Amino acid sequence: MAYTITLPFGETVSMEVDMLDSGGEHLFDAALPLEVVGRDILFGEGPAWDRRNRRLYFTDICGDTIQTWCRDMGQQVMISSSGHANGMCMDREGRLVVAGWGNRTVWRIERDGTRTTLASHWQGKKLNSPNDICVRSDGSIFFTDPQGGLFNVGMVGDDLQKYLDFQGVFRIAPDGVLHLVTDEFVYPNGICLSPDESLLYVNDTREKLIRVYDLNPAGNVGKARLFHQQTHPDPGIPDGMKCDAEGNLYTTGPGGIWVHAPDGTVLARLKVPGHPGNFCFGDEDNRTLYIVMLGWLTRTRVRIPGAVRW
Amino acid sequence: MTLKFELAAGPFKGRTGGLSWDGRSMLFSAVLEERVLRFDPVTGEVTDYRKYTGRTNGIAVAPDGSVFGAQEGGRRLIRFLPDGSTVQTCDLLDGNHHNQPTDLVLDRRGRVWFTDPHNLVLPFGPDGIFPFPDHTSVLRLDRDDGRAWKLSRVTRDTKGPRALALSSDENTLYVADGDLDHGTGPCTLRAYQIGTDGTVGLGKVLHTFGAGERGIEGLAVDHNGNIIACGGSAKSGAGPAVHVFSATGQVLVIHPVPADLPMRCAFGDAGLDSLYLTTGAGQLLRARATGHRGLERGLPPAC
Repeated sequence: MAYTITLPFGETVSMEVDMLDSGGEHLFDAALPLEVVGRDILFGEGPAWDRRNRRLYFTDICGDTIQTWCRDMGQQVMISSSGHANGMCMDREGRLVVAGWGNRTVWRIERDGTRTTLASHWQGKKLNSPNDICVRSDGSIFFTDPQGGLFNVGMVGDDLQKYLDFQGVFRIAPDGVLHLVTDEFVYPNGICLSPDESLLYVNDTREKLIRVYDLNPAGNVGKARLFHQQTHPDPGIPDGMKCDAEGNLYTTGPGGIWVHAPDGTVLARLKVPGHPGNFCFGDEDNRTLYIVMLGWLTRTRVRIPGAVRW
Repeated sequence: MTLKFELAAGPFKGRTGGLSWDGRSMLFSAVLEERVLRFDPVTGEVTDYRKYTGRTNGIAVAPDGSVFGAQEGGRRLIRFLPDGSTVQTCDLLDGNHHNQPTDLVLDRRGRVWFTDPHNLVLPFGPDGIFPFPDHTSVLRLDRDDGRAWKLSRVTRDTKGPRALALSSDENTLYVADGDLDHGTGPCTLRAYQIGTDGTVGLGKVLHTFGAGERGIEGLAVDHNGNIIACGGSAKSGAGPAVHVFSATGQVLVIHPVPADLPMRCAFGDAGLDSLYLTTGAGQLLRARATGHRGLERGLPPAC
């Protein structure tokens, strides 16, 4: 009884794009080639493109691995066990920063391969389970901390007890100090910055919405504004989220990846087959969209490159 | 003798479930509130034992002061440790995730027997990564020689096991089987002889409920070897009730319960002669001076 869909490994299938507003044609053709490049992934997450080494990193949460993929070498397991690692992001120094999920920490892989724990507790209590993560150009790290890594089947670590009475969004300042950004989410999940880093976007899987915050250089946010309330009945939830260089916001949602203009207008939906969990921009021109899902790693091409911070 | 049930605590949001007497207070699960609570029978006070339990239902206090929990939402048995942390045990049966454990019992050798049926509430996490097994059985958690946890399948003839209990000598396993929510009736009460290696053969049916009757949701055994079974519903059969069976399955008495959908039952209080009951409406009920006495299973002394 397989719940993940079957895709033709090594081949390319056609992916439809729903044009939902006149701006959509500027971004996409009506159908996009979706190349199936990775397989045997129980629950793919955390894609991050390493510009220096021209390779992709991603996690298999349930397979308990961090893997890498590049065209020449194919798919390889880089770290096993990963502590059921989830979201990942490259920082400006070329280091991989990991939302640790099952192991309840945020950690970093240094260039010599050693690992540094960056956050584990808030006010003396263990974090819930860091889910997704983004890094600002000054080195500030923003991450979401819902509770799924304490309960989800096949995703938990050594201690399953939730200690915090909220599901926070946190910031690790460049000096290493942890700050609470907000505790107003039910299940904060995807998180990303606008290209100019003046806006912080966070989505909520349970409430099916995206909130946006003005973000100042000190790392403080203003009052939340509702950016989008998702009501579409198709299966699929807000999860991974990224901005392109023009400030359009991409987020997983019902039936695929939803693309919003900076004012919130829904421009298009990429009808990704299966259950996409997260995605990132990559390749030399940053115009390849790598999409990981239950079962598979896929990629497609888009017109507008992703927002770069390195 | 009639049982006179009184409200001890609640109602809580959603059903209450598992019960375990810790020597001085009754622990009980408010399953959907994801809490385990502690009822002090002397003061009547109700306090949190543990929050964020992941829809833990069945609970069992162990001699070391930890509490085993059947976490319906996470498809695993967990242990609440005295230091406030929670650890998992082994959640894989032959390499695969099992169903949604709901009731458990700890024997004197430290083994945990549990029922593993389907549940009306889906487990946590995305659908479809870990398929359910093709059976719903009683499973058992043992430690191997290296102290690692290991799961094994016990019953081969159950269709929807919901509750279980062990006889006083721990040579017989009682199982309430049949699950109308998932179309596997009629409901039965079964007895299995336990071999020295912990395996069982086919169950002997001690009692069969009528078609469409909800059957048994909770089991306990008294000091005399009688089987105390709570269950039933206002919609069918004898209504919500506590059945008292002899060890051979003879119905000795049926006590009506003044609340619908009895969930679990357990003896408690000094003398172990009160019967506690949880319900579909989220109550903790208690009947004192029942004329029955519960089993001691080597619990830690009252502290």
